[in-house]
Amino acid sequence: MNLFKSPTIVTAALAFGLAAGGLNADDRLVHDGEFIVDGKIFGLPEARVYTEDYSGPPVVGGYLTAVPNLAELDYEGNRTHEVRMDVIAQQIEVAPGKFYNAWTFGGSVPGPTLHVREGDRVVFTMKNRSDEPVVITEPVAGGSPFFAQVQANPIQNNQPAVSPMPHSMDFHSGTVAANDKWQTIPPGATIQFNWVANYPGVYMYHCGTPSVLMHTAQGQYGAVVVSPKEGFPTEADREYVLVQSEFYLTEDEYSGGYRYDHAAAMARDPSQVTFNGHVNALHDAPLRANAGERVRLYVLNAGPSGTSSFHVIGAIFDRVWYEGNVENEWRGMQTVLLGASNGAVMDFIVPEQGSYKIVDHEFADAERGAAGTLVAGPRQ
Amino acid sequence: MRTLLIILTLVLPPAVAAEDAGIVLIGGGDWELPIVREDTGAPGRVEDFLLDVRQVSNADFLDFVRAKPEWRRDRAPGIFRDARYLSHWPQADALGVGNAAPNRPVTHVSWYAARAYCREMGGRLPTMTEWEYASEKQRDTLSVAPEDYAHELFSWYANPGAGALRPVAEGPAPGLGIHDLHGLVLEWVEDFQLVLGRGDDIDLLTGSCGDTARFLPEFDEAHYATFLRFQSRSNYQPDTTTSTLGFRCAYDPE
Repeated sequence: MNLFKSPTIVTAALAFGLAAGGLNADDRLVHDGEFIVDGKIFGLPEARVYTEDYSGPPVVGGYLTAVPNLAELDYEGNRTHEVRMDVIAQQIEVAPGKFYNAWTFGGSVPGPTLHVREGDRVVFTMKNRSDEPVVITEPVAGGSPFFAQVQANPIQNNQPAVSPMPHSMDFHSGTVAANDKWQTIPPGATIQFNWVANYPGVYMYHCGTPSVLMHTAQGQYGAVVVSPKEGFPTEADREYVLVQSEFYLTEDEYSGGYRYDHAAAMARDPSQVTFNGHVNALHDAPLRANAGERVRLYVLNAGPSGTSSFHVIGAIFDRVWYEGNVENEWRGMQTVLLGASNGAVMDFIVPEQGSYKIVDHEFADAERGAAGTLVAGPRQ
Repeated sequence: MRTLLIILTLVLPPAVAAEDAGIVLIGGGDWELPIVREDTGAPGRVEDFLLDVRQVSNADFLDFVRAKPEWRRDRAPGIFRDARYLSHWPQADALGVGNAAPNRPVTHVSWYAARAYCREMGGRLPTMTEWEYASEKQRDTLSVAPEDYAHELFSWYANPGAGALRPVAEGPAPGLGIHDLHGLVLEWVEDFQLVLGRGDDIDLLTGSCGDTARFLPEFDEAHYATFLRFQSRSNYQPDTTTSTLGFRCAYDPE
């Protein structure tokens, strides 16, 4: 028997270390049964499913933002984040006049971007509020910065909707038993669980409830950015988050507007492919930078089924950290290929004043909307 | 009241009694569920059963709650219903307007409450097999194309019109003489949870990605839409209530 596989003994050994003068004492272990392998925390407590009388902001936490914004990590070392993202239905627009009832985390597609640091712990709470209309376009007391950012740039024209369905949350940034933490909860229920950001990266989160193709195509995904503990080797002047995804919509002959087109989703024939959830998201509100600045993009291809050949016209990626891990460094990349749910951090230096198109270089996708603009001002 | 009607129905030929009594006889037959379930490998056989022609309305359920006040929302034990049980009614024993009007389908009812109602009426909830059998026979009778069925269902799931439900049983009863099997609100069935095998383990279908293909004999839209109904039903808890989930009762022939 390998004694050190026993969580009890590991915990006891750590406690002893603490008593003996704090050598390697690890106060990162919070619950009975947690253990450390290679500096990473595993063995997290079981998820708790319960009912709560909660009707507050559907997104809570200071480090949750609306794309393309990324929250600044204004703290040293590691901390625990209390994060809430409720499931709500929302009518959203993804192209001019093309709106449908989306299933969302927090009310937008993609959902809020969570930013944490490698080693941070997240205590995540999610209530399935798909059976109540929730407004996200009016000032929200106690909500996260996400709301003010959505309200400043309401390109999806988010309107409350009701579409009761069971849902779940799967954070690719977490390392857990999915049948526990990512379990499906019915409308009205709440789930709470811990995960620890063991690895840096740009990660997808999504609903994993079957049929997962429909749940994700309906809009249930977003990004988690886990910044490396020691940071990146370069200093960025601008940071933006881009989430690419496909929509499979067809005219709804029964309710008006548009609806999910399962045949198209199975055939991988999207009606729209977007950056940040609208074909005009990065045209109406282009990214901004100045000549000579280093721009850092945190890019996630959420799929659900397509790849992205991510490219900036007129620039070369000076550094690419595939999956957002500093160990995976590439230099001088023209295009970065991202499969469904791959992410990367990409730096480029803005060559001169002008307009830089951001595209999926798979042009069938670019011409369905996977295109945007970075507008560069003169050298400062 | 409904108990009396059932007795009358049973002594009359079903075809005559159906629309008046509000109950229709569904003739059984050999039949396979459209979803491949791992817990029932044997060929399916559906016996004759009787089914309510229409969904239970708010008025029906108010009568029940008055007769059985232990099922009032302010008295029903918390383990038998979630916090939103009958929350759309203005009072614990009074109806209102809109979705709380007497002729709208009762919603925000738990599986426990639905079962208690049917028992009180001398019946029971239909089994999953019975309900799906009736649904398929209804579509066959009406010659609904599989794609049209799927498209309407996908539309309904994303936009069920929960804010303004229609009255139950509007117009003449179509097909087999059953109203609102699709398009108004979902319905509880007795055995609503799918069982999923996982090696030696079993799981009520709380599954994750990849738990779809093994349930589908065909990957066309109609099977996928049907699976969505099975899946969403399977993830309810017996105390769950929603604004788009009601029920009707079934009865065993004498």
